[in-house]
Amino acid sequence: MIAFENLEVRYPKALEPALKGLTLTLDRGIVGLLGPNGAGKSTLLKALLGLLTPSRGSGSVLGVALGAPEAARLRARIGYMPEYDALIEDASAYEQVAFWGELSGLAPEAARDRAHEVLYFVGLDEARYRPVSGYSTGMRQRVKLAQALVHSPELIFLDEPTNGLDPDGRRRMLDLVLRVHAELGTGVILASHLLGDVERVADQLVILDQGEIKAAGSMAGLRKALAKRVELRFLDPLDAPQEAALVELGTVLEARNGLYDLELTEADPTGAFRWAQAQGATLVQVTPRHDRLDEVLLRALHPATGV
Amino acid sequence: MPIYAPTLPPAPDLHQGHPPALVLMRFDLTRLWRQKIGRFFGFAFLMVLLWKVARIYIDHLLQTNQAFKPMQDFAKTILTQGADFQADLLNPASYLLWFLVALVGGGLVARDTLYRVRPLMYAHPVAPRDYLLAKLGFASLLPFVILLPFALLPWGMSLLLAGLHGPVWATAPLRLLPAMAISSVLMGALAVGASSMAATPRAGIGWVLGLVLGAGTLATMIHGLTGIKAVDALNPVMLAEAWPQLFVGVDHPMVAWLPALLGTAFHISLWTFVAARRTRPSEAVI
Repeated sequence: MIAFENLEVRYPKALEPALKGLTLTLDRGIVGLLGPNGAGKSTLLKALLGLLTPSRGSGSVLGVALGAPEAARLRARIGYMPEYDALIEDASAYEQVAFWGELSGLAPEAARDRAHEVLYFVGLDEARYRPVSGYSTGMRQRVKLAQALVHSPELIFLDEPTNGLDPDGRRRMLDLVLRVHAELGTGVILASHLLGDVERVADQLVILDQGEIKAAGSMAGLRKALAKRVELRFLDPLDAPQEAALVELGTVLEARNGLYDLELTEADPTGAFRWAQAQGATLVQVTPRHDRLDEVLLRALHPATGV
Repeated sequence: MPIYAPTLPPAPDLHQGHPPALVLMRFDLTRLWRQKIGRFFGFAFLMVLLWKVARIYIDHLLQTNQAFKPMQDFAKTILTQGADFQADLLNPASYLLWFLVALVGGGLVARDTLYRVRPLMYAHPVAPRDYLLAKLGFASLLPFVILLPFALLPWGMSLLLAGLHGPVWATAPLRLLPAMAISSVLMGALAVGASSMAATPRAGIGWVLGLVLGAGTLATMIHGLTGIKAVDALNPVMLAEAWPQLFVGVDHPMVAWLPALLGTAFHISLWTFVAARRTRPSEAVI
């Protein structure tokens, strides 16, 4: 779906490039682009859309090379939901979605019909005829999603789609993202700094920071790696020889009051019970630590801390 | 609680639509139509046009109706249909037009900057040249379309009332239309260039008025200091006024053909260049 090699993007007059030699291949699916603010997520999306010209490297989106003459036509196959409010305030949702449809190549009448369909799909009913200046944040986000979907793109870029939404609004927006992929077969690149959002919908993950890829892979793979993280609770604190022998299980990340955070050598935690029996220690609890994606993020961003 | 559709059917075939520049222009026109300013200026221009037409009809009555015979000599002095009359056809409208161009054109690019929709336009199959063409086209077509009835309707009415052998300049539109086109492109380029430098539509209006009045004042000052008449060609208002006069063969008191050509080329190329620079995708990415 998307591939780039040694991609570097530099803003005019900036000392440092915003993206520093990124190399990656992404398959069709829902890709979570995760990173703190200023990590380069939006810059990457804009470079993939051809809004920014790479200063170095190459890449392709849906088989079309970045910067190729046909890249402009490629944008008819992509939908883009920007992070900021790119809405025409004095126009209704219906008018502007039809307008964006026409800009993507739909005939005027087809664009108007399509605007109704797509606004209904995102859950905007009668409100579609009112100027968007009176819309709530959730409605505005849905109009932005509608304009990204109006021309049935093969791929959509969603830049912080849940920005400013309350928990219920976030859930609804993420449900829509899942539906877009499941029902329409559209590839999704979702850039967010909210871990929960990415964890909920993405099947691939790319972690960016300071213009560099810190980690990338399938969510299943990352979770599998995390599955080796366990917390062991012993009835009594281990003595020094027992603590030293813990390395047989894996790497000890933290030890405190009879609790040991370990990165196991093997994903199967039952070996810990066999080890405890052999050592004469009473293991009372093994807690898997694979439920927190933020740890993946923190470890990717701050490997030295060994979080 | 929003009601969601069961699913979304595929979109109809793309590549059936109009060129992006045309879509953008049509959207700007719809937007203008919705605004009060569009209706106000529509009414104002209609009134001016009716005045022009009424003047011709009264002239016709003076020429043909015996009851008006005593007024005829006086009327001939004020209602002639020679070159002066033709050149004058556009002037009152063009002054009002500068205000319309400032009020509408000032917001053309600035509104997109304010709402931050330009990056989203470029995320569609819209090239920067499509965007610039649409804005320049709209800002130029607007004054042209408004001036069109001023050139054609009085002329057509005169022709209808007096016939080909009457006191009507039958080929006048052939001279007025190119003059109107040049003046309109000048107005459009200046408005779009000024609007591209503004962050809000109101600031855009200020920029247009500031540039028009500023260039006029500068030209007058340099003229006053140096005594060189040609520098008046820096004044966009005077240029727009001069073109119809030059085309119908009336010598403009301040601007001759060559300075008018140079001055117009200077303004159009400068403001188009400014607008092109300010609406590049890299400028649009915020």
